[in-house]
Amino acid sequence: MIETKELMPGVRLHSFRDTRFKHGALSIQFVRPMAKEEAALNALLPAVLLRGTRDYPDLRAITLRLDDLYGASVSALVRRIGDYQTTGLYTTFIEDKFAMAGDEILKPMLEFLGQMIFCPLITDGAFPVDYVESEKKNLVSTIESEINDKRVYASGKLLKNMCQGDSFGLPRLGETEDVERITAQALYSHYEKILRESPVELFYVGSADADVVGNLLKQELQKLCRQVQPLQPQTAFSGQEGSHETEKMDIAQAKLCMGFVTPITNRDPDFPAMQVLNTVFGGGMTSKLFENVRERMSLCYSIYSGYYGVKGIMTVSAGIDEAKEEQTRAEILAQLEACRAGDISEEELTAAKEALLASLATIHDSPSAIESYYATAALSGIAFQPDAYAAGVAAVTVADVAAAAQKVRYHSSFFLKGGSQ
Amino acid sequence: MTRKYYPSLAAEVFTCRTSCGLTVKVVPQPGFTRKMAYFVTDFGSVHTDFQLDGQEYHVPAGIAHFLEHKMFELPGRDVTAEFAARGANVNAFTSYDMTAYYFSCVENFWENLKLLLEFVSTPYFPEESVQREMGIIDQEIGMHEDTPDTRVFEDLMKIVYNNHPVRVPILGSRESLRQITPSLLESCHRAFYTPSNMILCVVGDVEPEKVAELAETVLGTEERPAGKKLRPWQEKMQVEAPQCTGKMEVAMPMFQMAFKSEPVGTGMEAMKAEVIGDLAAEALFGESSPLYLELYEKGLIDASFGGGFETVDGCAMLTCGGDSEDGQAVCSAILSRGAELAQEGISEADFLRMKRSAMGRRIRDLDSFDSTCFRICAYHFSDFEYFDFPAAYAEVTQEQVQEYLKQVVTKERCALSVIEPKEEKEK
Repeated sequence: MIETKELMPGVRLHSFRDTRFKHGALSIQFVRPMAKEEAALNALLPAVLLRGTRDYPDLRAITLRLDDLYGASVSALVRRIGDYQTTGLYTTFIEDKFAMAGDEILKPMLEFLGQMIFCPLITDGAFPVDYVESEKKNLVSTIESEINDKRVYASGKLLKNMCQGDSFGLPRLGETEDVERITAQALYSHYEKILRESPVELFYVGSADADVVGNLLKQELQKLCRQVQPLQPQTAFSGQEGSHETEKMDIAQAKLCMGFVTPITNRDPDFPAMQVLNTVFGGGMTSKLFENVRERMSLCYSIYSGYYGVKGIMTVSAGIDEAKEEQTRAEILAQLEACRAGDISEEELTAAKEALLASLATIHDSPSAIESYYATAALSGIAFQPDAYAAGVAAVTVADVAAAAQKVRYHSSFFLKGGSQ
Repeated sequence: MTRKYYPSLAAEVFTCRTSCGLTVKVVPQPGFTRKMAYFVTDFGSVHTDFQLDGQEYHVPAGIAHFLEHKMFELPGRDVTAEFAARGANVNAFTSYDMTAYYFSCVENFWENLKLLLEFVSTPYFPEESVQREMGIIDQEIGMHEDTPDTRVFEDLMKIVYNNHPVRVPILGSRESLRQITPSLLESCHRAFYTPSNMILCVVGDVEPEKVAELAETVLGTEERPAGKKLRPWQEKMQVEAPQCTGKMEVAMPMFQMAFKSEPVGTGMEAMKAEVIGDLAAEALFGESSPLYLELYEKGLIDASFGGGFETVDGCAMLTCGGDSEDGQAVCSAILSRGAELAQEGISEADFLRMKRSAMGRRIRDLDSFDSTCFRICAYHFSDFEYFDFPAAYAEVTQEQVQEYLKQVVTKERCALSVIEPKEEKEK
């Protein structure tokens, strides 16, 4: 069972005590509004924190410490959850009982995490310039590498076009020119501001008592002068008119992405019906898109839809032969029409519901799934337990799915085709 | 079934061999909701030459993967839909040396397991559906051709190996696919999808005995011999060519390099060889190595850099790669650091720390059902009980790692594959 405690104003600890796992997980996230001005700063910050602390001043010192803690891991955590962006660290470590006699892991791990967040290496009143510059370069190359994955690239372009005027169109890690502008001093000021103002969400999954975790981190947090700035609640899609764009690139397989909007978000009572619709339509190997566009008509290799419940956006992504663009597009829309008309078989409905129910039932089977589910739920502004949510999914009927489909509106598309530029 | 408990891992495994020759392994996980089953054959893309019923076969490249796609059909039934209706996720993959079919579910485990055993053991390849599959796999090949990570690795295999079929992509080529026929698919199925060439591994809160009983009910009790794999692979330890360069639509150049190693054999010796290789990789270019810090601070590597020891039936290599403006410089630095390390050796303290870290990571991975199933199956085919890994770590010494570095990290065994961005077209 997840337990949530307010450690101090603006700092929540969510803990899930469980003795079944061989490893535990702990994350710390500072919650920021998703905004053009700071997306890149928030994305860069954890990468710089991971470069060195006061007592472990470089990468090697940090890795040696993690090796001593039986191969514990620390990684950057930068999430986009609706209108928010989070910045922080995610750690995993084996449970104390697997260490050699007398060795502790959790406690030193918490101290180490505290050090990474609160005692970074400082030179001349800011982060070391060489660390900041080299992580800027890495972040730029991560952003630019998106082009390596044509699917990710095409979906990113679609969302950008769809969400002019909504923060959801901003890339999660910011844009190259924003990263390049960052100075060591500016990043450090931003870090100080985050420590002062941002709501903090801590998640712990493991065998220890929540108080052990809470007390250690509280000591560090109490040293800060906090003036928490609360965030605006999440909002539904508020973008402009749609657009249909084609871009050429020298690739073997074309990518077709289509974007749809719906007033139903995960804060809406119809959310389970919308989830089932997305699964019937394009979620997995029994969906209408897979069965018809791929299996029956051989128009593509991969095709699936995704639903961003926080925002109320559904997208379809297909890898196709570019000569078949019109045919594929028409068939995708025809399948959505079928959903609107309630042309959904009992098998299709059951398969979709079972798939969703199975994924809800297995959330509690892994520390990372627990962390990610509850973190997303908590920041989406919803409080539901997987069980309550599952009951909602189980009750969905064909009529509910059709009603949800009737609210879905085709908004935009992006087509990435072959041929030179 | 025989039960073996591993106190240092707090894990147990039940094992038996059914009368039809199938190995069954069950790892009970009380208190977990999810259940997972892997049904795997010791047959992958490199096994294109074999003998069956006195006849010799040389089948087209890509047939193992093609067969995997086609297994999902049963006469008059829709396998995927049946799994889906019971809330199970079913999938499969083909690697260089094995083909795995697996599902995970919460409810209806026994019905799902029965279906898994049925569809994988039933050959059914209608001509028309074999033809249709070519179009789907053409698309999959297209997708791979656009994936830089796949390309850089496949290019590397072509220059590391002289003859071994690991040089050929798992999917085969559009041309080799066209030579696949229903009758060749049947021969491969008969040769390698016989229970004595396979393993069934289940992880979850289930009764182990029942798994074995169900397997016997579905697969019968008669044992048939598997096809005999031919391995006409003449490999020198010298690489085929030292370097290759490809051009793609990428933002930044990337590289993958390898040092060719002796194949590892089987059993505890194979596991020890793998531990030696992994620790050598860690000492040479792992995140805690001085070289990693140096290359990272020079901006020659970034967080995408990684590597380790890889094995495929008949091959082994130390490999690493990632994004880099100058893969050549990384490669040279690793070569010269390898020579130093082979001279200096590794300190006792460093060696223990590396072992502890590697063991901790393996213990953590046991929380993943997928990784546990996969590893149990893969190691079983090289005659090793995966949960015995702590014993392999205990036996390996720093001198063995040093010796390995001396032998393998040399210029003759080293190959580098680079993918560069396409140049801007003249306007």
